[in-house]
Amino acid sequence: MATSLLPVSGQALDAQSLVAKIQKLCPAAQLRPDCDRPAVKVPLAHWPVLAQQLFASADLLFDLLETHTAIDWVQTGQIELVYVLTSLQCGHHLTVFVDVARDNPVAPSLCAVWPIAQWQEREVFDLFGVHYTDHPDLRRLFLDDDWQGFPLRKDYADDFMLERPS
Amino acid sequence: MGLVTDNLPGALLPLPGGGALLTAIDQVVNWSRANSLWPLTFGTSCCAIEVMMATGAARHDLARFGAEVARPSPRQADLLIIAGTIVKKMAPRLRTLWEQMAEPRYVIATGSCAISGGPFLYHSYTTIRGADEVIPVDVYVPGCPPRPEALLYGLLTLQKMIREGTTLARPGEVRKPVLAALPDGMTLHQVRAEIAELVQETATVDRAAAATVGASYASASRV
Amino acid sequence: MNATVATTLRARLDALPSQSLLGTQEYFVNMGPQHPSTHGVLRLVLKLDGETVHQVIPVLGYIHRGIEKICEHSNYRQLVHLTDRMDYLSALANNWAATMVVEKAAAMETNSRIEAIRTLVTELQRIHSHQLWWGVFGMDLGAFTPFFYGFRDREILTDVFERTIGGRLTMNYIQPGGVMHDIHPELVADVKAFLAVFKPRLDEYEALLSENVIVQERLRGVGVLTAQDAVALGATGPVLRASGVAHDLRKAEPYGLYGQVAFDVPVGSRGDCWDRYAVRMQEMRQSIRIVEQLLDNIPEGKHFLVKPAAKIKVKPGVWYSHLETARGVLGAMLVSTGGEAPYRVHFRTPNFNNLWAVTTTATGGRVADLVAILSSLDLVIPDIDR
Repeated sequence: MATSLLPVSGQALDAQSLVAKIQKLCPAAQLRPDCDRPAVKVPLAHWPVLAQQLFASADLLFDLLETHTAIDWVQTGQIELVYVLTSLQCGHHLTVFVDVARDNPVAPSLCAVWPIAQWQEREVFDLFGVHYTDHPDLRRLFLDDDWQGFPLRKDYADDFMLERPS
Repeated sequence: MGLVTDNLPGALLPLPGGGALLTAIDQVVNWSRANSLWPLTFGTSCCAIEVMMATGAARHDLARFGAEVARPSPRQADLLIIAGTIVKKMAPRLRTLWEQMAEPRYVIATGSCAISGGPFLYHSYTTIRGADEVIPVDVYVPGCPPRPEALLYGLLTLQKMIREGTTLARPGEVRKPVLAALPDGMTLHQVRAEIAELVQETATVDRAAAATVGASYASASRV
Repeated sequence: MNATVATTLRARLDALPSQSLLGTQEYFVNMGPQHPSTHGVLRLVLKLDGETVHQVIPVLGYIHRGIEKICEHSNYRQLVHLTDRMDYLSALANNWAATMVVEKAAAMETNSRIEAIRTLVTELQRIHSHQLWWGVFGMDLGAFTPFFYGFRDREILTDVFERTIGGRLTMNYIQPGGVMHDIHPELVADVKAFLAVFKPRLDEYEALLSENVIVQERLRGVGVLTAQDAVALGATGPVLRASGVAHDLRKAEPYGLYGQVAFDVPVGSRGDCWDRYAVRMQEMRQSIRIVEQLLDNIPEGKHFLVKPAAKIKVKPGVWYSHLETARGVLGAMLVSTGGEAPYRVHFRTPNFNNLWAVTTTATGGRVADLVAILSSLDLVIPDIDR
């Protein structure tokens, strides 16, 4: 019980060369400086192609979509999709941010690249209302099917929630 | 409860001395009910580990009080121990389970979530604020999660309620819910001593012999 | 029953035609949300043909409490106790994940004593968690004795926790800037006494369950998850390692004192239920190894560097940190716009991502195998739903 079926085949890149490499693949990608780990902001139109490249490029090999979630920036009218990627084979990390419009949030599904995205995207659809095109089964995940609204949006309100008395 | 018990009060009460006989029968029935509570395995979150699994396992041994026969089916259970948070999606299922249980049925709500919503009271869009918004509760056992001893205390409280509770002449009487919180100033050791005393009173095993068998474990559990 | 008889039986069962001459049809059965072997309120919609599982559709949300929303309305200390209630069997690791991201965001420092205590108690809780899993695993396979054995030994460790931490299950112990209380003076002696009892018991576990031929027959070759599938489905922790991928954040990105202790990462070879079982059994031994190295070497110092009453402020930005719980990678993401409350908190929970392995591994097997697979994934449902 010692051998690994998925050998460490690549080399871990440091933050600078990782971002440089990604900017080479997709010049529109920008470094997001306020993150503690290597992070890039990618325009929505470039994202599906770049995702495939991140997965397949021999020196990047982001095989694990560690998590996918969203941030609701209510003041700028954007929902920022967050993809936390890990390469088990190389040992480096990358966080990708993609903006979608808050009033019409549509993004491409990444199930074809990372199968786990199917359920992570369902969670984001359930709680933020982001629609994923080409998703095989886009339904609510946690809440009842007839639930109104998307609770993790900042302006969500219903007559059930209680405010903590200050 | 059945053909016999349903018709018993009507048959006995007109007879001379029938009332006294009925009281005696009540005592027997209530005693049996109190000492053979079959709980439904219903655990939604953290409390399930403490009040269902740890209490049912070897050390705390729910079997001492006749309540260890956990049933997965509500049809066979007469005690619903709500162990964990109830959210909006689960609430109709909880109600269904409770309605599937045969009378007389009893409900113990354990833990902050089942009592009031607990840590998820504010700003949660799904958490029901207490299981009693869905079904009537007999005994509340506070804690987050309650210790196994706290559940045993709650169970003893329920047994007391049952023994003093409904009679055959007035079936289905509405019971007043009880908070089974440990009284102020009461320590865990007192509860343990009280439970040990109770077990001693009704013990049918040869304790001296049992002590030698369990000696190795007793020394281990006292580390 | 010896191994040959069991194997022959299995071969004969497998040789039965899946479609009988009378003709069968598929039907749907709900397993859960109130079911004893889904370990809580998980609901699986099963598409069955007789005993054969054709499809598994997990339905979630029966314990979705909105923890991430509540975190947005809590300050950086208050959100730690909510994490206890996600994966309550790894409460300390959950506390640590939230603490780690807050400490990183607020640039708070710790000392080596704090890190040693954190590593020690978290590793003890890994044993604690696996003890419970072992007992419940046996119960799910139809053997009731492991449940009592597992809990008997778990209670000893629970007492150890209670003395130092005060809690038996939900700890709320690891806090930004330190740990809640200093360790009990008797902790080291307590843990040594526990290990003296538990080490022979672990061999007893192996003799009782691991060497049981029925258990082996029910686990070997059942629910095979290949390494590629495991990574694609986001599985981590023992589930991923059983499939042959030696990924453990304690080794890959050492935190706490994991960089200073010697331990191995047990890895499986086939990714079946047996490998997942064996990996966890080995992990208990490795955790004992780590605990033994730490016990006599807890450095002196303060157990809390920041006063618990002190308000924590975080400058705007995004932080992410992750660690290895008993079930896999727990990540915590913190988004701040400044001030005393986070703008958004997200937890990447191991169980949410491990669950989906059931959709591929259980398909084509039998219902009884499904129960074994579910149990070998060691799911905690509130950690899936949050």
